[in-house]
Amino acid sequence: MKSSATPRRQQGAALKTPRKAAAKPPADKPSQRGARSQQTRFSSRLRAWGRHHRSMAWDSFQRLVRYPLGNLLTMLAIAIALVLPAALWLTLDSARLLDAELDESATLTVYLELSTDDAQAQRIEEAVNAEQSVLETQLISAEQGMAEFQESLGLDNALAGLESNPLPISIVVHPSSIEPAAMQQLAATLEAFSGVDEVRLDLAWVERLRNLAELGRRVALALGALFGLGVLLVVGNTIRLSVESRRREIEVVMLIGATHAFVRRPFLYSGAWYGIGGGLLALGLLGVGNHWLSLPVAALAASYGASFSLPQLDVTGSTILLSCSTLLGWLGAWLAVTRHLSSIRPK
Amino acid sequence: MIAFEHVGKRYGGRFEALAHLNFRVARGEMVFLTGHSGAGKSSLLRLVMRLEKPSRGRVVVAGHDIAQLHASQVPFYRRQIGVVFQDHQLLFDRSIFHNVSLPLEIQGVEPREAARRVRAALDKVGLLHREKALPIELSGGEQQRVGIARAVVNKPALLLADEPTGNLDPQLSADIMALFEDFNRIGTTVMIASHDLALIARLRHRILRLSDGRLVADEGAA
Repeated sequence: MKSSATPRRQQGAALKTPRKAAAKPPADKPSQRGARSQQTRFSSRLRAWGRHHRSMAWDSFQRLVRYPLGNLLTMLAIAIALVLPAALWLTLDSARLLDAELDESATLTVYLELSTDDAQAQRIEEAVNAEQSVLETQLISAEQGMAEFQESLGLDNALAGLESNPLPISIVVHPSSIEPAAMQQLAATLEAFSGVDEVRLDLAWVERLRNLAELGRRVALALGALFGLGVLLVVGNTIRLSVESRRREIEVVMLIGATHAFVRRPFLYSGAWYGIGGGLLALGLLGVGNHWLSLPVAALAASYGASFSLPQLDVTGSTILLSCSTLLGWLGAWLAVTRHLSSIRPK
Repeated sequence: MIAFEHVGKRYGGRFEALAHLNFRVARGEMVFLTGHSGAGKSSLLRLVMRLEKPSRGRVVVAGHDIAQLHASQVPFYRRQIGVVFQDHQLLFDRSIFHNVSLPLEIQGVEPREAARRVRAALDKVGLLHREKALPIELSGGEQQRVGIARAVVNKPALLLADEPTGNLDPQLSADIMALFEDFNRIGTTVMIASHDLALIARLRHRILRLSDGRLVADEGAA
């Protein structure tokens, strides 16, 4: 058990001169020198480690370039798996912007009883304003209401024939919280005020849109997870094949003392390269798709009198997409290699 | 250097490949391992290389009880042992130079130092002029010498060889054995499994004779 407790590096030295090392008295000078040499040994090991990383990154890149078509197809598969959830996410992102605009217009309208006069209305407005969850109020007189109504109907004189104004005085309330539950509670509170006839709260469609956005977000997440799994499988399968084709090499290097990390390294880099390539292709596909759709979308928006442009991945979004795809490629390779290393035993 | 204490090895619970093995090999010794095929020579070497653990008893190599080595320590243990295989185990997609430098690459030796050592090892086996060749371009004897160069390039304290002359003609076999003797002369412990009885009898080193997994003779011990 003793041997397994000694650090590996010392074990190597101990193998050659086990007795000498054990018998050496712990003198001051040699131990200092030992510490220093261990330090240089550590830094040289670190350099060797970095060197191997660089050479494996380059080596796996060259292997990639050697079979461009097959590897491009793998990357394309990864790209397609990434484009779908990314596009959905972008669409939702623009919906979220829309949602934010709607939030600002989320208001309650308090209709007062017809018999209320202006002075009473003012008092009620003050009372409403005193409510904690009310941000701001706006009194709309019967005349103003009529004017707005006429304007929105586009019937200038149709209502002019009415003898008296049938519209009540109303108060537009901007709540401090636009949470549906909070707004509903506020509506109930205001409804209990004397002189208040009805509180209208047109939340239903805001809520519906929100639910839709939430649904979309979940679908995007689920799709993202599924397609992420797809990327893992694509990379994993490709790496599995390349592990299989280099089986002999792996057996040989393990026979002469390669660690699992050493064996794994080139494959992890291959996986990461696949991920990077797939991510770049996905960005390209998103760009092309955006370009292709932008004209009809702009025309459609213009026909509604709106200006709307398709959302594009910004630098942050692109970075996230690339890092995700690289990470997925790396992880897929790790899973494939680790699974197969356990089955490869040197003969 | 190597100590086998009451070692037994069973495969699949039934077949007894090795039984009641007791012997020691001193540092700097050169030992031949003989016996008919299936006598357990390869199993014994596999134990020393820690490709397997003994079913019974203890195998101690250079102070390490190999059964106690943790899986993560095994690679570092193997780096101390040079192994020459009957089928050389060369990588056919890389040059002779790169095949020989593989152990140094694994150990992270600085490239210039590695190149120096690789050339020294190739020079020793007389193949320096072929360093850029691929293994497939070499004859069987030359491939075996590349395998030997790879086994000694990191100056292991222990050199194992499993039928290193298995497919070679007598002259080449004698050359290969002479190479092993050279390495032994500079202090490397050498253990060679071989059934070429005529050849190893001529060389006058210690011979461990195995039969049905048992040690039946230990001749010419120093």
